[in-house]
Amino acid sequence: MNIADGGHPSSAGAGATDSEGGPERPEPGGEPGPLFGPGSQFNAFFNDPRWALAVVRATVLEAAHPQIGAALIENSTFVTHPWRRLRNTLLSLQRMFGADDDVRRREAARLNRLHARLKGSDAHNRPYDAMDPDVRAWVVATLFESTVTMCRLSGQPLEQGVMERLYREFQAYLAAMGDEPGHLPHTLHEFWQYYDRVVEEELENTEAMRIILYKLFDHLPAPPLLNGLPTLWATGRAVAGPVIGAITAASLPESFRRRAGLPEMPGAQTLMQSAYLAVGLARFLPDGWIQAEGIADLLAFSPDNDDPRAKTITALRDTMKRAGALLRLITPLPSPPVPTASTGTQRSAEEFFHEVLDQTGDGYLDWPDLAAMAREVSSRLDLDEPEENRLYDAYAAWWHELQAALDIDGDGRISVQEYVTSVPSLAGPALIKVAEVLFDVTDKDSNQRIDAGEYRALFQTAFLRDTTGTDGTYTRSAFVRDFLSFMSGRQRSTPYDPLLAEA
Amino acid sequence: MIDVIEAARAAGVEWLSLYAFSTENWSRPSAEVDFLMRLVRRVVRKHSVLLHTRGIRCRFLGVTDPRIPPALARDFADLMTLTSGNRGMTLTVAFDHGGRRDIVEAARSLIRSGVPADAVTEQSFAAHLPYPDTPDVDLVIRTSGEQRISNFMLWQVAYAEWVFPPVLWPDFRGPHFLECLHAYQQRDRRFGGVLPTQNGEPRS
Repeated sequence: MNIADGGHPSSAGAGATDSEGGPERPEPGGEPGPLFGPGSQFNAFFNDPRWALAVVRATVLEAAHPQIGAALIENSTFVTHPWRRLRNTLLSLQRMFGADDDVRRREAARLNRLHARLKGSDAHNRPYDAMDPDVRAWVVATLFESTVTMCRLSGQPLEQGVMERLYREFQAYLAAMGDEPGHLPHTLHEFWQYYDRVVEEELENTEAMRIILYKLFDHLPAPPLLNGLPTLWATGRAVAGPVIGAITAASLPESFRRRAGLPEMPGAQTLMQSAYLAVGLARFLPDGWIQAEGIADLLAFSPDNDDPRAKTITALRDTMKRAGALLRLITPLPSPPVPTASTGTQRSAEEFFHEVLDQTGDGYLDWPDLAAMAREVSSRLDLDEPEENRLYDAYAAWWHELQAALDIDGDGRISVQEYVTSVPSLAGPALIKVAEVLFDVTDKDSNQRIDAGEYRALFQTAFLRDTTGTDGTYTRSAFVRDFLSFMSGRQRSTPYDPLLAEA
Repeated sequence: MIDVIEAARAAGVEWLSLYAFSTENWSRPSAEVDFLMRLVRRVVRKHSVLLHTRGIRCRFLGVTDPRIPPALARDFADLMTLTSGNRGMTLTVAFDHGGRRDIVEAARSLIRSGVPADAVTEQSFAAHLPYPDTPDVDLVIRTSGEQRISNFMLWQVAYAEWVFPPVLWPDFRGPHFLECLHAYQQRDRRFGGVLPTQNGEPRS
């Protein structure tokens, strides 16, 4: 199936058309464009700053779906490693919507393998499966709908023709993933009925959604770039975090907000619309075009000025003040300050547990944590299926080794107490095997050396190794030794920190 | 506490004041004071949305001592800002409040304004008290079987009726409040010969 056949946009929808048995519709308004790559409607949005708000909103709507919410809670690292996840998501979307068919096929296969591993049951024993076609359709639906809503909320609603083109691109995206047509409605008109029905009947106030709305933004870890500036980050986050949460909550469908019992916040609607508008407008301002004078004029209005504009501004300001007060009041209190992490080269066992091992941040070491490490490495190295399986198998064997040695109370997972009290000898044979496999999959050309390019692919950083006495490459034994010393000696300041510890 | 606030609101009470922490309470052991401060902060934050959605305007009377943690003071200010537009019921929480101090402050303010001594009347004096729009108190409920004023809103309670239910404050609930209200309705208020004003109407 040649999805990216630019000249014939109906080709991707052909399957859907057949299944509906209806006639093909002519392109309403405008030139038919390519479904992927430059010239596609999606491509025009990709660098739009409003996309950040739209993606956050889409994620909340995804998390409100019980199956997706459960998969996120059980497997995802989005609370502990949100930046890594965001980067991976954007990279994946770029690959999927790019012009290159091979890259797209590869990425689709990788995503499918990744999602096939996300399967289980939630706290109420309801099964979830990331490969469920209806679930996958919903994810694509939220991305499409949030893009449309993003434009509407910022006062630039999409024209019908543009919207229909964008919808076909998202249908094509789902088709490129290999999904049978029919899970997303064929026409845009039917889509809105489908969307309203899912919002009305299937979405719930899930734990994952609450975590994203109320916990993630308040506790968002600093992006790696700002690691050295915790105070700066904390200050910015204290202001921005609750605001992003409020903006997102206010932009959710009204019926869902009511049903999920999300609090109505005074001013949040205004705030949300202004935020979308401001980010949307900022895009059109050429550099240096922001009129500082006009803004200063507005800010200089005194509340009891005669100017009719002053009245509006006073009213708005009061609303904003109340909204700010409410946001501060409902922001969960920070937990009592803990002693700041030591900055030495050694981590305490407890720090290592929280910073490296517990990837999902639920306070326990469990298979999803190790699977998340395998997933991260697979994504970075863009592994093919056989290598990816080897890596997952090695991690699974390590998990069994850890479980046998450390899960003292036999509840199937390892608590921080179990980990710390056992002061584990982590360098068992299974961990060594992980190191070996990691070396093999990183060593793309199988010359038993990791050269600068391969090193960069794994660690995404320049080749800084002390290379004395070698030919400037990384040998298997040195690689394995360093990995083990990171994992068991708990050495800080190694290339593994950015790979496994940072947000 | 929320239970009592709800009962009062439902019974049509328009002004409700609660005595949370007196100036004398600072002399309690510091660990106990710290605990109280944390407790108050949690309660304020927990109920802020509920109070707001019930249309209750919240005010804090007192809150001047520098020993009040800044974070708590900001929560108080936020709750006042948030609910400032509400008119359903006005809830005044006396926190770090002392009735005598309010009177002294009013006297200072009066002197600073340079009013000649002969021009001072009860009305003009009262205008210098904090929240001068607060009407006279009609009913004081002193729980726990205590029968003292404890320096509480001294000026405003001049003609108040008093009831002394034996139930301890932590156990005091909506039904207790309604009982007190009922007892109040049986009283014959004479205001010491002063003409009765409409219930809850602010003095001119």
